[in-house]
Amino acid sequence: MANYFNTLPLREQLAELGKCRFMHLDEFTEGVDALKGKKIVVIGCGAQGLNQGLNLRDSGLDVTYTLRAEAIEQQRQSWKNATSNGFTVGTYQELLPTADVVLNLTPDKQHTSVVNTIMPLMKHGACLSYSHGFNIVEEGMQIRDDITVIMVAPKCPGSEVRAEYVRGFGVPTLIAVHEDNDPNGEGLALAKAYAVGTGGHKAGVLMSSFVAEVKSDLMGEQTILCGMLQTGSLLCFDKMIEEGIDAGYASKLIQYGWETTTEALKYGGVTNMMDRLSNPAKIRAFDLAEQMKDIMRPLYWKHQDDIMTGTFSAGMMEDWANDDAKLLGWRADTAETAFEKTPAGDVEISEQEYFDNGILMVAMVKAGVELAFETMTAAGIIADSAYYESLHETPLIANTVARKKLYEMNATISDTAEYGCYLYNHACVPLLGEFMKGISTDVIGKSLDLSDTGVDNARLIEVNAAIRSHPVEAIGGVLRGYMADMKQII
Amino acid sequence: MHAICLDTVSVDFDGRFQLSDINWVIEPGQHWLVTGTNGSGKSALVAALAGVGERVSGTWSGVPERVALVSYERQAELIEAERRKDDADILDVISEGTPVGEIIDAVCQDRDLANELVDTLGLRPLIDRAFRKLSTGETRKVMLIRALTSQPDLLVLDEPFDGLDRDSLAWLQDYLRVLATTVPMVIVLNRFDEIPEFITHVAYVEDGRLPHRVERSDEPAMADLYQLLHLKTSDLEVPQADPADRLPALNPSDPLVRISDATIRYDENTVFEHLDWTIETNQHWQLSGPNGSGKTGLLSLITGDHPQCYVNDIFVFGFQRGTGESIWQIKQYIGYVSIALQWEYRVGTGLRNVIISGFFDSIGLYSKSTDMQKAIADEWLALLGMSERADEPFSGLSFGDRRLVLIARAMVKHPPLLILDEPCLGLDDMNRQLVLALIERICASNETAVLYVNHRSQDAIRGIDNHLTLSSEAAS
Repeated sequence: MANYFNTLPLREQLAELGKCRFMHLDEFTEGVDALKGKKIVVIGCGAQGLNQGLNLRDSGLDVTYTLRAEAIEQQRQSWKNATSNGFTVGTYQELLPTADVVLNLTPDKQHTSVVNTIMPLMKHGACLSYSHGFNIVEEGMQIRDDITVIMVAPKCPGSEVRAEYVRGFGVPTLIAVHEDNDPNGEGLALAKAYAVGTGGHKAGVLMSSFVAEVKSDLMGEQTILCGMLQTGSLLCFDKMIEEGIDAGYASKLIQYGWETTTEALKYGGVTNMMDRLSNPAKIRAFDLAEQMKDIMRPLYWKHQDDIMTGTFSAGMMEDWANDDAKLLGWRADTAETAFEKTPAGDVEISEQEYFDNGILMVAMVKAGVELAFETMTAAGIIADSAYYESLHETPLIANTVARKKLYEMNATISDTAEYGCYLYNHACVPLLGEFMKGISTDVIGKSLDLSDTGVDNARLIEVNAAIRSHPVEAIGGVLRGYMADMKQII
Repeated sequence: MHAICLDTVSVDFDGRFQLSDINWVIEPGQHWLVTGTNGSGKSALVAALAGVGERVSGTWSGVPERVALVSYERQAELIEAERRKDDADILDVISEGTPVGEIIDAVCQDRDLANELVDTLGLRPLIDRAFRKLSTGETRKVMLIRALTSQPDLLVLDEPFDGLDRDSLAWLQDYLRVLATTVPMVIVLNRFDEIPEFITHVAYVEDGRLPHRVERSDEPAMADLYQLLHLKTSDLEVPQADPADRLPALNPSDPLVRISDATIRYDENTVFEHLDWTIETNQHWQLSGPNGSGKTGLLSLITGDHPQCYVNDIFVFGFQRGTGESIWQIKQYIGYVSIALQWEYRVGTGLRNVIISGFFDSIGLYSKSTDMQKAIADEWLALLGMSERADEPFSGLSFGDRRLVLIARAMVKHPPLLILDEPCLGLDDMNRQLVLALIERICASNETAVLYVNHRSQDAIRGIDNHLTLSSEAAS
């Protein structure tokens, strides 16, 4: 199979990359009508499969589960998940030939084998839905011409997808139609109805393309979202230990520092995060971020280039074929790092102290968000997509670090994201080596030691203007405005 | 043991609540009852003995090292901790949670006693079940076992009798009577009809202060205290429904609910089977049965919250379940209150919005509300005596006040069916009477069918003349 993206002419590549639009609630007035009375069959009954199925059924839709014959015979956990919730379970042969819509909710790695198995069984004119476009875009899976191919991807873990639905809300969801497989022109209607069935329309739906989803998702997760947090955690921790900061304090400052500082990012972008610092600290963070951006820019370019050309996915698929040897080795290495092995100390750190004593971490987030955004948009990805895959998701990933450090982050994200995160980390740690030699505890571990917190007016105006005029701030202001309109009035 | 002395002690609870200038002496051999209205701070006062909160002034002495505390707050914390473990597990697997046995072992100092209590309270079959999967009454029993087996020097029980079925309640009262000869106790109770014999003193808490400390043998003082707690609101006017909010009409010849030959089963464990039940329009029902007999499960078959509603023969509000209806079409006909809903309702929004969310059947408010809806919510707040607090965050309310707001949320749309799953659990006497009076009023209005679950004959409601009792032996 050939990389699908690489088979497209440049103008189509650019057109596909440029797709991403925030949909308004009034575009969903048909509700679940397009799926009413249709037979929906879910493949896989893990957390996403089960919880999406529960929501769809509670929205009045006809949902059954299909599992491999062994899973049914041995009554494995997936079989128990489905049957104990009152769902009918059948084999591929029993259920797929009559299915109108098939939801493939298995992990990326299994897509090729699953799709090759189910395709001959699917009836003429049915619909196949993915939750990630890797199989289509990177592996070049060819789906039968008569089948409609869509993507509906709730941007949250399965347990949240259910919990928010039960509350009467939903989680933000990305939808797309694979234009090469939309024989009856019904792909968009089906994807919208599916998003309504899971409650996603209430929390905000992004209309994107398979290509834009894959290329931006890969770039974001490898660089700012996971890679930068991993590299930043390791470098900042080692520096603090080297400078004699208490290990428990250092561990806590980092584990919870990403979550605390990026919470400010969530509410008011890079501007608000930087505004949480004192004036001298803000100028210092700005300068550090500028230096790091210059150092790291070629690395961000390389990641984006490798994603665009398919070099990244080819390398990862080689590792799949080799039983994930590299991935598992890197995962084991991460578990052995000093940061990972040092538990957070029993010390009080106030919310503001995370900013004041973590100036370097704030600078790293700023540098990473801006570089990822600049690189994605320069590669043809529309600003909306680039915003979601950089700034918007950073606080979500930072939450996972707060829970159980890097192990939790890497366990939560997909294997694909984890593989890319390690690639980034291996390149970025040495790249910042020289820069880190010039760092001391005034920007990480302690705060700036100043008797006078005054600053030069002209310099402050210049720095504020630079922060506020970055393009990620412009699009962020617009999109956060939309989200606030839809969000709960609390 | 020495006397416990609190001398002008003030305690701060995260800036949300403060106990002020508490003077209190507990002599050896005394057992105290602590009482007061909802939100007065009685739970805070006893929690402070167990080390909760930060002492900001005053001195105290003699508070023993080992204080065991049983309270709804503790219970909620433990359930929340279990839920967080589950949330943390956002891998693509279903987390099972910590089994009951491990939860008990974590603090147990006396294994033989623990084994005995597990058997006595009927928890043996549940010992490997995940703690957070237990019913409310069952988790309550686990909390009691933890406290009783931790060999405390002071036993603090906040509403220990609430939520227990009759047999367990009788057992606990006997057990405490014996234990009182060796372990001093401080007990929070909202009901004067349940004061154990061994209680020697009563403390009355109001607005974070401790104005009255009464010896039980002092009968006139006790009568005053009782009066104080029985202060009743004079007129009770239930606000009207929103005229703009019209439900699709039901066919008057259909019953509201018809359940035929229903079963709830988890793996090999059958909660009940062959259950038939029909609820006609305007018919009021009381549902009772011991802990774990499936009361809440049966209710959630009606509300659509139980996944097995799709494999049972259930007809509700004109819909045969599993024929393409959505749960929101079902829920629009139902008002619902339970302690589980209260635990689920973890939202930072204000009281007015919580009440308005009843129009949308949502937890939290996600839709724009009309002026009429706001006005109706304000009338309910006035009825509850909370007009000035309309914009206060719901999460900052006391346990009992949250219940009152949720009852208003359930009734705000005047649903054809109002389900009250132990609505008085955790409420003090005054608010209990207010709630019961409110329910009686609703029953009498004849536009809402009330389905009322409770354990206690004292909390019977006039006008409810149909009874369904689930037995512990599954089949009914």
